Amino acid sequence: MERVKKSMTGFLVPVLSIILAFLIGAIIMLAMGASPARAFGALFKGAFGSAAAIGTTLNKATPLIFTALCACFAYKCGVFNLGGEGQFLIGATAGFCAVHLTGVTSFPGILLCLLTGTLAGDIWGLIPGILKITRGLNEMIISIMMNYVATLFMGVIYTSWCRDAGMPQTASVDESVMLPRVIPNMRFAWAFVPAVVVGLLLYYFLYWTSSGFKLRAVGLNMTASRFNGFPVKTYILTSFIVSGAIAGLGGASDLLGTQYRLINGYGVGYGFDGVAMALIGQLHPIATVVVAIFFAALRVGSTSMQVATKVPTSVSDIIQALVIVFSVAGMALTQLPEFKAFMLRLTSRSSGKKEERKEA
Amino acid sequence: MEEILRMEHISKCFGSFYANKDINLSIAKGEVHTLLGENGAGKSTLMNILIGLYQPTEGKIFINGKEVKIDSPNQAVKLGIGMVHQHFMLVEAMTVFENIILGDRRSKGILIDKEARRKEIVELSERYGLDLELDKLITEISVGAQQRVEILKALYRGAEILILDEPSAALTDIEVEGLFAIMNKLISEGKSIIFISHKMREVLRISDRITILRAGEAVTTVQCSETDGQKLANLMIGRELTPSHYEKKSVDEAPIIELKHVDYNKSSKHNGLNDLSMCIRPGEIVGIAGVDGNGQTQLAQIVTGVIAPDKGEAVLHGKTVSVFDPNAFIENKFAHIPEDRNAQGLIGDMSIADNLVLKKSEQKPFSSGKGLKLNKKAIRSYADEMAAKYDIRCTSVAQEVRSLSGGNQQKVILSRELESEPDLLVAAHPTRGLDIGATWFVHEQMIAARDRGVGILLISADFDEVLEVSDRILVIFEGQIMGEYSGKNPPVEEISIAMTGK
Repeated sequence: MERVKKSMTGFLVPVLSIILAFLIGAIIMLAMGASPARAFGALFKGAFGSAAAIGTTLNKATPLIFTALCACFAYKCGVFNLGGEGQFLIGATAGFCAVHLTGVTSFPGILLCLLTGTLAGDIWGLIPGILKITRGLNEMIISIMMNYVATLFMGVIYTSWCRDAGMPQTASVDESVMLPRVIPNMRFAWAFVPAVVVGLLLYYFLYWTSSGFKLRAVGLNMTASRFNGFPVKTYILTSFIVSGAIAGLGGASDLLGTQYRLINGYGVGYGFDGVAMALIGQLHPIATVVVAIFFAALRVGSTSMQVATKVPTSVSDIIQALVIVFSVAGMALTQLPEFKAFMLRLTSRSSGKKEERKEA
Repeated sequence: MEEILRMEHISKCFGSFYANKDINLSIAKGEVHTLLGENGAGKSTLMNILIGLYQPTEGKIFINGKEVKIDSPNQAVKLGIGMVHQHFMLVEAMTVFENIILGDRRSKGILIDKEARRKEIVELSERYGLDLELDKLITEISVGAQQRVEILKALYRGAEILILDEPSAALTDIEVEGLFAIMNKLISEGKSIIFISHKMREVLRISDRITILRAGEAVTTVQCSETDGQKLANLMIGRELTPSHYEKKSVDEAPIIELKHVDYNKSSKHNGLNDLSMCIRPGEIVGIAGVDGNGQTQLAQIVTGVIAPDKGEAVLHGKTVSVFDPNAFIENKFAHIPEDRNAQGLIGDMSIADNLVLKKSEQKPFSSGKGLKLNKKAIRSYADEMAAKYDIRCTSVAQEVRSLSGGNQQKVILSRELESEPDLLVAAHPTRGLDIGATWFVHEQMIAARDRGVGILLISADFDEVLEVSDRILVIFEGQIMGEYSGKNPPVEEISIAMTGK
């Protein structure tokens, strides 16, 4: 019963945040002289109105799911991996180099690319992890710095080493290694499936295995975990490696599924978007996947909204930002002792039987 | 002698609990007046009332014969009361000079007249023999010097009455001599000192009068010249020896663990161990008696593998331990009730059930395939069983353990640790903060475990508890074992003196 109550508040905060954000979005639209109902209708239709729209939305969601799961997993172990973007990009870069330089094609090429990308991502996660457990350095700062290293390293690749003729970008990967489309001629690649599978696997691992249970314990109380004999440092390092690997796999599969080439500006914002989505999803892997799809829908639908109702796409950006602001504020609110006391009073009044809570 | 401070009929309640009850205290001008008492006797509460942190529930305070109301620390400073806390309140990244003038309300304008202030401080420090380099950073000076900064700070703010809370705790012997010289200088200049200490030797040397507190009440005030350590210890403990409810045993089986000449952080008197040797045998409860903060924490952590000794060795079942790691100790059937249940024992945000299986979630029946699939039903029914067996009062075992009362949280730990069928249990303050019923329950469980052959190391600041359940009593003081006594008819007075390091 308690657990149900807890997940209820966990569920309520994001939902209320979304409703509030839409309400404010509606007010802005009214102020602009547009009809919120029509605009939201267009937005929804643009994101989910047809098979093509759904495909585009899910495709847009794929890289976000990877980076969000990357953040989610590290946070569950109590460490803050803000390097999702760097791990994503290094995954894409390494994956690209692997197929581009070796010339391996078709299925072995795909496999090679994904493996190299995963490996590169987890090395990128390993570095802040090792520095944290051996030297006690702040993992947030190191992982953010690693983002710049990855972005600039990708820059070296597309501006010099593998530059394609005059343009500051690489050639696209060989057609035989591009991931097939779910439905032909539609921008919806199979990369979405591994993303969701990773989410399900993480959920299973965290909530249904002993190691996942211990990892969550480490994340919630490191000292007690150490006193209870858990190898805390190993768990921290593992969570960095796995979280980096998820982002790296995301980068490589996005490269093969959607992007095909390395180019200036690729992947900007994926890392921090992922962090926000993981937090809105209350660090639950499946909720995180849903939140990532929701954000992708807002982004895809906003174009249709602009075309149909002349409400600019920036209103959708505002709504997205407000969702983040409200849910972070909401979570902070639920942590307040005053709020907890209020909820306790509320529930003890509403629940019929008053349980004894006195000291034994 | 002229009276400078009088506290009359001071009482302070927290809920229904009296931390101070009808205390009278009179401090004369130019005396060192010692407050002596065990942990929880009410010394800190009384001093917190004097410096304005607490308001007394009842009672009056007079300074120089005039009734005053001290409703804030600022007010206390204005009335000439200064306190040097046991843990110094200094800004480490600032210089000695800056620390002293910090919070000085005398400057009216925005700018501080540093030259005048400096002159004043130099004068003060010379007058009282407080040798200090004003431009050094706090981090650069010794602990003794930091204490002199605190004293100078109080004097600079016009303190007439100085409260020194365990001032010798962090000092070396030579520094203690220096401190006493300063204290003598201060009283010869007409200042009054309230001295709080556990150390009998120091108390007897420096005090003029001694007030003994026990269980929140002032037992008596005596002239230092008319008393001795034995009398003081009797007054402080002040209890009739109530015979223990439990039968005491003596065993001579081979020890489970033996510490040999263990040093840990030796230079610190209060958080270290100094050439400590002891052992724990199966089927006995070894009680560690001592004032809090004499190395008990470190002892418990070494015996459970949380920290490794700097020197000396631990012998476990006849084998020298090479790796100090909690998991290695747990695998050797060691169990630990840590001193801070929330920070070290429990995962507060997880459920009671999760906490109960914390150490064995990968074992059958709680999971299958070596932890690859948790069996939540089995965990749940096991937790229900434990809640009944250990009388854990909760609405459901799925409830967060954080939401339980302290006593019930302790039962969760107790049941987890005892159900692991340990050979050795280290129980650090197992009943701290628990009411009588819960305390009794914990004791019963410990005795039952002992009778099953479990060796138990009991660390407690509650002397009564140590006397009640221990088969063997070791007294710890400044990281050293001061003596070993049988738990059968223990010589209470002798032990209580040993606890104060004499």
